[in-house]
Amino acid sequence: MRKVRVAAALAVCALGAGGLAACGSGSSSGKTTVTFMEAMSSGTLKTSMQTLTKRFERAHPDIDVQLQVEPDYPTLRNKETAALSAGKPPTIGQAYSDWAATYANSNVLVPLADYAKPADLKALYPGVRRDLYLPTDHKLYMWPFNKSVVIQYYNQKMLAAKGKRAPKTWDEFADTAKAVSGNGTTGIAIDPGGSAGPAGGEAWYEILAEAYGTSVFAADGTPRFTSPAAVKAMQYLVGLKKSGALTLGKNYPGQVALGAGKGGFDVSSVASYYYNKKAVGGKFPMGTAPLPTGPGGTQANQLAGTNIVMFAKASDEERTAAWQYLKFLTSPQSQAYWAEHSGYLPVTPAALPKMTDFIKQNPYQKFAAQALTTAKADPPYPWITQAQGMLAVAMQSSLTGKQSPADALKSAQQQAMDAMKSGQ
Amino acid sequence: MATTQLDRPARPGGIAARSRRRSRDRSGPTAVLFSLPALLIFAVFTILPTAYTFVISLFNWNPLNVSQSTFIGADNYRRLFAHSTPSFAASALTSLYFTAGMVIGGTAVSLAIAVLLSRGGAWLSGVRVAVFVPHVTPLVATSIVWVWIFNPQFGLANAVLRWFHLPVVDWLDSSTTAMPAILTYSLWHEVGFTVVIFLGGLAVVSGELGEAARVDGANRWQEFWYVTWPQLRPVTLFVVTISTISSLQAFTQFYVMTEGGPAHATTTLSYLLYQEAFVFFHTGYAAALAVVLFVVTALFTLLQFRTRRSTLRSTSA
Repeated sequence: MRKVRVAAALAVCALGAGGLAACGSGSSSGKTTVTFMEAMSSGTLKTSMQTLTKRFERAHPDIDVQLQVEPDYPTLRNKETAALSAGKPPTIGQAYSDWAATYANSNVLVPLADYAKPADLKALYPGVRRDLYLPTDHKLYMWPFNKSVVIQYYNQKMLAAKGKRAPKTWDEFADTAKAVSGNGTTGIAIDPGGSAGPAGGEAWYEILAEAYGTSVFAADGTPRFTSPAAVKAMQYLVGLKKSGALTLGKNYPGQVALGAGKGGFDVSSVASYYYNKKAVGGKFPMGTAPLPTGPGGTQANQLAGTNIVMFAKASDEERTAAWQYLKFLTSPQSQAYWAEHSGYLPVTPAALPKMTDFIKQNPYQKFAAQALTTAKADPPYPWITQAQGMLAVAMQSSLTGKQSPADALKSAQQQAMDAMKSGQ
Repeated sequence: MATTQLDRPARPGGIAARSRRRSRDRSGPTAVLFSLPALLIFAVFTILPTAYTFVISLFNWNPLNVSQSTFIGADNYRRLFAHSTPSFAASALTSLYFTAGMVIGGTAVSLAIAVLLSRGGAWLSGVRVAVFVPHVTPLVATSIVWVWIFNPQFGLANAVLRWFHLPVVDWLDSSTTAMPAILTYSLWHEVGFTVVIFLGGLAVVSGELGEAARVDGANRWQEFWYVTWPQLRPVTLFVVTISTISSLQAFTQFYVMTEGGPAHATTTLSYLLYQEAFVFFHTGYAAALAVVLFVVTALFTLLQFRTRRSTLRSTSA
């Protein structure tokens, strides 16, 4: 009996030791491991990411890149925070610039100035380059990854039936949306998001406010939700809702309505192209066009998408290997492949000559890439996402008639100022 | 006169001695040793995290870099009652709205269904299963299904309204209808469980008392109200208790269906806690919220247990 017990105890110890060994980091094959926490979890985004990583590993046999895929951005943020709390962050991770600002304030990021050479930075679009620095210490903390702007998708057949074309101004857009609405069809369906975070509808509102003359955030991150432009933009959306040309929904309602032939437009990211095309499924020709302009031809667009940050726990070898991977991802060849397969935009104009055939077939990539030169990213401060959530709530209040646009925005402004003061 | 078992004095080593031994076994070192693994698991996963949450609630906590956390005493608790949007009080009211709907509505509906189904029969057994089935479905999956049912453009709810030539409703996008819509879903999901509990209670209700009432001229309603339901009082109290606790802790449907919106109309304390802790990472503030929610739930439960005990005492008297 005693022998049995001893054998059982040894077996347990052996299993435990095996388990612990399996949990350990590092590589027995002599390769340097780079872990990358990202959210390219579905469709062509996932496969493109995997292909690019395999290409990199083939070119760098001494580096092993492990993709840690999370299903969406909120989960990604939670996982990164949890990993940092546990003291075991990945080597690199996708991050919005306001997340990066929060991480940098907590001293958990590596500035990239020691790695990025002036020529590396010069190769990027200026707007993309500006988005890589944090204003607190003006240091380079991020490297670009999946960049996008907003475009309009529309049902060509539906618009043609009403004698309309892709609108060039926001006033024209409202007229067209109203014209196609009725009998179960709505001009556009949007999801503003909520207090926990903004969705595509909120991004559209920010663009409208800028098109009417004032962006909702000043360069130093100060909220400007009560500006005449912000109020006018909200009134514009309320007008569409009242006339039955706009409806609210959840889970990409614009894409769903457009795909079902029950929506005239979808105003969303260029990265939605493949998803929208799939939703339409060839039932009718789907048009794409640049965003309409505001009064006086004011062009406004939002540079969206994330960058990549490097976490401070990484060893020197891991940092060097991770930087090689980052450089590979932004090389013209990689960017051309990425743009052609993911729908995101190349972060360097050097990729465009390698995409000539693709651009001929998909002209949206060209005008979207042109928008990169003028599109602006929201300023990188920790409170921005929370303040955007407050704007989303103001949209809900205004669009459901709970409050007037001016009152809803005044309330949101007050809350956003509090969030800004608390530095969160 | 023959002696009975009860008349006999207890022998040493008899029932009394065995009982004493059992009692000793239950409180002795062996008992402690046996319950140690369970106690250890409970301590590691429940007691210690609860205590740690209380500690965190006294700090301006930085989850990314704990060394940057600063002790602020009761400031997080003060902030709970300061002006903020949504305020703690507003979220507590929203929680109470939902809890009242679930407890009052859920108890009434499940009692009514249980009474209707208590007669038995093959057909009604099938209905019992149908009523219980929603309860075993996953909350996330069915919440998503109900988001589509309430979709203003394509949903079943508005299709029914259109069929009756009634105006359509922005179910989940209107501050007025969002909570009733979530209550409808939650009742659909939860009622099956409480119906089964009531059916269990009805199975042991004395039929003779009802029969006597009918002989005395009571109609169906009077029989239910004055004879059947009073016998179900302990079961009703149990249903009210568990419904209150589960409603105060409800989260999934709010997360999936409305994300606390529109305009905070469905931001309950549980959702506010999630948002502060895992969206904004205001960890200290969220911990203070969790402590207060824990106290509120515990107080409710204690109150209900006390009411239950006094009711049972008065019933047995």
